[in-house]
Amino acid sequence: MLFKDAFKTATRALTHSKTRTALTMLGIIIGIASVIILMAIGQSVQKMILGQVESIGSNLIIISPGAPSGGGFSPPASARGIVITSLQQKDIDALQREPSIKGVAAQVAGQAEAVYGGKNKTVSYQGVTKEFFSVRNMKLSKGRILSISDIDSASRVAVIGPELATALFGTNIDPINKNIRLKNITLRVIGVLDSSGGGIGGDQGNVVIIPISIAQKELLGVSYFNVIMAQADPSYEVSFVKARITSVIRQTHGITDPTKDDFSIQTQQDVLSLLGSITSILTLFLAAIASISLIVGGIGIMNIMLVAVTERTREIGLRKAVGATDKDILQQFLIESILITMIGGLIGIALGGAIVGLIYIVATTFFSVGWVFAFPISAVLLGVGVSTFSGLVFGIYPARQAGRKNPIDALRYE
Amino acid sequence: MIILQDLKKEYKQEETPTVALRSVTFTINKGEFVSIMGPSGSGKSTLLHILSFLDRPTGGSYKFLGKSIDDMNDAELAHVRNKDMGFVFQAFNLLSRLTVYDNVEIPLLYSDIPPEKRSALITEAVESVGLKEKLHTETGRLSGGQKQRVAIARALVADPNIIFADEPTGNLDSKSGLQVMEILAGLHKKGRTIVLVTHETQTAEFADRIIFIRDGLVESDKPVIKRQGDVKTLK
Repeated sequence: MLFKDAFKTATRALTHSKTRTALTMLGIIIGIASVIILMAIGQSVQKMILGQVESIGSNLIIISPGAPSGGGFSPPASARGIVITSLQQKDIDALQREPSIKGVAAQVAGQAEAVYGGKNKTVSYQGVTKEFFSVRNMKLSKGRILSISDIDSASRVAVIGPELATALFGTNIDPINKNIRLKNITLRVIGVLDSSGGGIGGDQGNVVIIPISIAQKELLGVSYFNVIMAQADPSYEVSFVKARITSVIRQTHGITDPTKDDFSIQTQQDVLSLLGSITSILTLFLAAIASISLIVGGIGIMNIMLVAVTERTREIGLRKAVGATDKDILQQFLIESILITMIGGLIGIALGGAIVGLIYIVATTFFSVGWVFAFPISAVLLGVGVSTFSGLVFGIYPARQAGRKNPIDALRYE
Repeated sequence: MIILQDLKKEYKQEETPTVALRSVTFTINKGEFVSIMGPSGSGKSTLLHILSFLDRPTGGSYKFLGKSIDDMNDAELAHVRNKDMGFVFQAFNLLSRLTVYDNVEIPLLYSDIPPEKRSALITEAVESVGLKEKLHTETGRLSGGQKQRVAIARALVADPNIIFADEPTGNLDSKSGLQVMEILAGLHKKGRTIVLVTHETQTAEFADRIIFIRDGLVESDKPVIKRQGDVKTLK
């Protein structure tokens, strides 16, 4: 039997019972649309997260106190609540002398309650050095950043995050030059951060940034740093700069055995690749959940095809009597199930695409979220592939049943 | 064309085997019109199924056009059914959702005949049974007699060597039955070999020869003596 004839025969059988065909397709349509939507959402989230991290600057290198625990990107001891005092001013001084580094900033952080008038909010405060804003690529929506003299003279001034500004001052009061209280220190607000960028190292919306000496001496009473940030000179490879920093800090800390490092270094690339793989796993996980509905849809197809084979037993008998082989019958029923899943898959892709577009419009228009539109071609290919494959897998059993029918029994079937 | 030698067919149902054909021996030559008669359970339908390659014997030998059924696999049997055999069933076995044209086309779908030559063959076959004006009518809308004529057109379309008809008038009124038998007799006159299974004597007498089967054995094998001017009627 020519494929063209088998195709024509299959389409006739499907169009004969349109409602049943449409209902059978529904399972696949929903399954494929779910896979597409979840993969697209996964990729949008990935792009959003990576975009935020990249906005800090791809040449940022972060040095944390404490030995790196295990391979890859694992949290340093300091991030697990252990106080380690290994990062000191001498490290900053040494790094500033390193030619492959464009700038070095350091910070200490803590939590306290910020108060303005009758309003208060628990915030994360960051004591920073003068190069902090340029290294972190931070932008302000109003006011100015901490100046060199603010930091050198330990002025009691602060730059606050946009969320905190709204929480303490609302939308009607301009926070600039207003005084807020952090523990027992009064700070004058001189700037408000822009809501975009600077995503690494915690939530930048709810933050108070103050000169480092105030944080170290007046709020925390320490002389070490929580983190040192170095900006690689663009004319050097980040990996080279990372190696240089390692070497410089080992020297200042007098470490000769690399296994005894009391600091750890992460580059932006490390963070990006880690976040990339986490979000990819997340996307796959979502797709795996969605594919459960595909399996259910596929079983639905198998069920309907088995019913169709039983209903059309006499037809099978007749076709075999006039010369159809087992293979011809198998081919006919297989084409029917593949057609159902393929058309269902295409409709599912279109539906999924429409919903992904709708999510984008709703997220950007009504919720003002910086949602990134993603309609991954891989999801489309996966959709077509999986739907066709499921037609093949779930269609093969009923088709084999049809092909194996004995023509005499089939002709006698009532 | 057909040579049967000590043909046997046994069905294994649970423990006890059922013997449908004990020992059947006869020959059918090209161009003959043979009726196979017998009471219910005599084995005539089983015999027709074996003759038409829809079933295999469990003993003896069957040669069709010089080739033994035992030497052919299922796909080869299907090929012979398509190329050399035409079928007319009591229950018509038409696909009611398809038109006359599409039903008659079915055997051609499984043949080597190229698609561009099919249309002429289908039209010719449908014309030969007098249903040209119904070519694009769904078969579900036809009368019983018309349905059986479509079935004959389907049996003819691939130009087979032999036509097997299993109780072709069984579901028809006498007028339609007569029409169908006249078409089969006409085909025979043009040289086509026809094997008919029936339990009606008048229908059987359209043939040149009647083989009577009882209890799985050939009870008689006699020619039909036709007198000049015989007018055929069916009850």
